[in-house]
Amino acid sequence: MASRLVDLVRQSAHRIPMPIGVFAGLELTGTTVKDVVTNAKAQTEAVLALHEFFNTELLLTAMDLSAEAELFGCQVNMTEEEIPSVIDRLLKTSYDVSQLDIPEINLGRTRIHLDSAADLVKHAQGYPVLGGVIGPFSLAGRLFGVSEALELSITDPHTLSQLLEKVTEFLIVYIKAFRQVGTWGVIMAEPAAGLLSPRAMGQFSTQYIKQIVDMVNDENFTVVYHNCGAKLVHLSSIIQSGAEIYHFGASMDILSALSRVDEKVILAGNLDPVNIFHSMTADKVYHHTHELMDQTKNKSNFIISSGCDIPPHTSLDNLGAFFSAVRDFPYLQTR
Amino acid sequence: MTEFVTNIYNGVIDGDAVGVKNAVESALQSGSIAEDLLNHGLIAAMKEVGRLFEEGEYFVPEMLISARAMQAGMGILRPILVAQDIKPKGKVVIGTVQGDLHDIGKNLVSMMLEGAGFQVIDLGTDCPPEKFLAAIREHQPDIVGMSALLTTTMTNMKKTLKHLEENNIRQQVKVIIGGAPVTQQYADEIRADGFAADANQAAFLASQLMS
Repeated sequence: MASRLVDLVRQSAHRIPMPIGVFAGLELTGTTVKDVVTNAKAQTEAVLALHEFFNTELLLTAMDLSAEAELFGCQVNMTEEEIPSVIDRLLKTSYDVSQLDIPEINLGRTRIHLDSAADLVKHAQGYPVLGGVIGPFSLAGRLFGVSEALELSITDPHTLSQLLEKVTEFLIVYIKAFRQVGTWGVIMAEPAAGLLSPRAMGQFSTQYIKQIVDMVNDENFTVVYHNCGAKLVHLSSIIQSGAEIYHFGASMDILSALSRVDEKVILAGNLDPVNIFHSMTADKVYHHTHELMDQTKNKSNFIISSGCDIPPHTSLDNLGAFFSAVRDFPYLQTR
Repeated sequence: MTEFVTNIYNGVIDGDAVGVKNAVESALQSGSIAEDLLNHGLIAAMKEVGRLFEEGEYFVPEMLISARAMQAGMGILRPILVAQDIKPKGKVVIGTVQGDLHDIGKNLVSMMLEGAGFQVIDLGTDCPPEKFLAAIREHQPDIVGMSALLTTTMTNMKKTLKHLEENNIRQQVKVIIGGAPVTQQYADEIRADGFAADANQAAFLASQLMS
């Protein structure tokens, strides 16, 4: 049985727009990036402000891909206007991996994102709310170092697998907590896996995501797989995860991907967040959005979106142009 | 190609750091010329690794372990080459710009540049304009490489270039830039000398700028 989010997409009379843009809309509330990732109330207000200003149809919590690593013990660089990033790796040896404890989700900034998700569910008046979490290989990369984790995939796959088993156990608990507060699902960001070969991606990412999907997906909740680094060559590996919805970045040939997947699988993406949303004029954002709407007009299994998180300080006019282009498009007549 | 050079070449392609180190040591003990081992073994192999990456046969992990194997060989050859006064293809100072802690792209570029025969001075991450300036004055490089992953930090590339101009040193070096949000358009806008979309292209670009 499909989840309620999938049913919503399939039954919609129009193409659903879902830009990942919490940080881009902060000027609506005068909130800083730091506020959003450290204060649940500030995050909720920022997401609700975006929702009201643009009539968004889905509410997404912030994509903060350092919160989980920080909970495990990594140090994080935090400034007012930049999305936090992990300063240094926590684990350096296979012994470190064997000794790694799985942290309690109710501590640290993961609690902030859960609280914000719960608040959003309360205030969203039935609109779907999606949480944001990191994927297993990407979390392993933050803990062990991205370069080092990539090298482990060849030099010491046993240690990497041991680490992936631990982070997967953690992620299942964390994602279930999002389900518990009433979200319709989570967007799971797994960008570092896009650096792996398709075979290694299957071994060190997809199989763990499948474990997560099998444990958390139900009729009310679904994992949206996000990978802004994946290319077409990775597609067949990625869809083995069994997720219902896949969200890709600009590096994915989305039209070819749509032609290769079963119609039951929903794809989302993939307007470039930096080179279109952030850098272009509103007119050009409108043009590129309209173009993608037109190219995908015969596909019901598609959500139009940014290919990744839209950067802070992106013009609200550009976000508005995206929504206008989607809503102006004569979707039903063309299907 | 001698058996030694073949072993070095294959060791780099396979990412076998220990094998490359042993092969280089054996070759030197047998009287092989260090410069031949560098050019026909390490550099030729890294050029092939770059080709395999471009063609989608190799991905980043394979590239990383090949680069580690190349570095294992270079560690032995470098002092000999210096003693023989054999010059590298060029000298590159590289770092991520101020505020940016993401170094995987910069590290890959450094490795590919070394693999193409350049001497690389790696300034690490979060480098303010003053650090680039000081490194240029100290090392007198031919090329400066700047990397940024974030839109919020890529603007520090422009600030760094301005700082080099204000200190009358900009014309002494070629400046190349790269990173996920960086484009050729941005490189043109800030008047950098080149942009590369990946590590292999960066090595190719640097070689072009030296010719």
